[in-house]
Amino acid sequence: MAEEEKKKTLTYVEKLKQQALSQTNYGGEIPDKAARMEIRDCPNCSAGRAYRDGLTNCAYCGFRFMDSKLTDGIHIKKDNNS
Amino acid sequence: MEELLRQTQERWFVFLEKLEVRMGEMCNAAIPELKAIFKEDQDPYKRAHGRMLAGLLGQLRRMQDQANEVKEDKILGLIYSSGVFTSNDFREACFNRHYAFEKRCHDYTSLLREAAGQQDLEAFYQEQLASFALIKDQFTCKQCGGKIAISKMFFIATYVTCLYCQTQNTFMPSSGAQMVLHNARSLAEQRTAHLLKIYEERQPKDPALYQQYLRAMFDQWNQITPDMEEENEKFYLRLLKDNSINHL
Repeated sequence: MAEEEKKKTLTYVEKLKQQALSQTNYGGEIPDKAARMEIRDCPNCSAGRAYRDGLTNCAYCGFRFMDSKLTDGIHIKKDNNS
Repeated sequence: MEELLRQTQERWFVFLEKLEVRMGEMCNAAIPELKAIFKEDQDPYKRAHGRMLAGLLGQLRRMQDQANEVKEDKILGLIYSSGVFTSNDFREACFNRHYAFEKRCHDYTSLLREAAGQQDLEAFYQEQLASFALIKDQFTCKQCGGKIAISKMFFIATYVTCLYCQTQNTFMPSSGAQMVLHNARSLAEQRTAHLLKIYEERQPKDPALYQQYLRAMFDQWNQITPDMEEENEKFYLRLLKDNSINHL
């Protein structure tokens, strides 16, 4: 009886382990990416995005990169709005 | 009446003992498996381990619920129905046995939670610092190809201005560097765990020791992620206030 009980418990724990391992993570796997540099060109005049009086508009032709208003964050600040 | 009380008490004891045996078998079998899954799990957040632990803790809670249901139904039911006729010995014996069962549940819960141990966050952090030192001068502007030196270690995406063409490049830190921000508090806690232990072991609790621990922990945290210092200070004051309320 005790042996059978033990077997049942082990099976339960093993089943739980299998389930925990086979279940896919919410949001998918997390790829290990290296540090990289990215850039956004202006779709209107193809110039690189430069800082003039802010970052939300193209420094050369005035194209609006984004409509949302920037608020104070860690690196981006309110005064980055063009 | 005496006979009924004796039988109920006996059945209650046997029932709790059976639950404890099941609990012990499950936890003893699960602890090596928890250690193994924690080691195998490649996910940075160790989510497979988290799922298994949650399942096991759920089983423990289910056993506690079963004990509570039976206590409510058989023990309290009998006490209420027979009123003054139940002896204090019966109550005390049944309640003490339940208390011992609850304590065992609590001990097993702690055992399961602590089974896998902690990740070596210090080694991971040092590894990330070393890999950043290797790559920090290797970036070039995507627009004009000019060299861009990254002034300090960033943990989230940031704009870096090219000195030659003024283009704003977006620097995306590696996945490892982003994890440093996520792990910063845990790492600071690991570094100052000895101070927390001193505070927890002292009886009665000394708020000054807690403050000493908290200050050291936040200093370490700020040292790891200096950009968050202002926000962290507010959090420090709140934790300190919460603790002082408990001491009133």
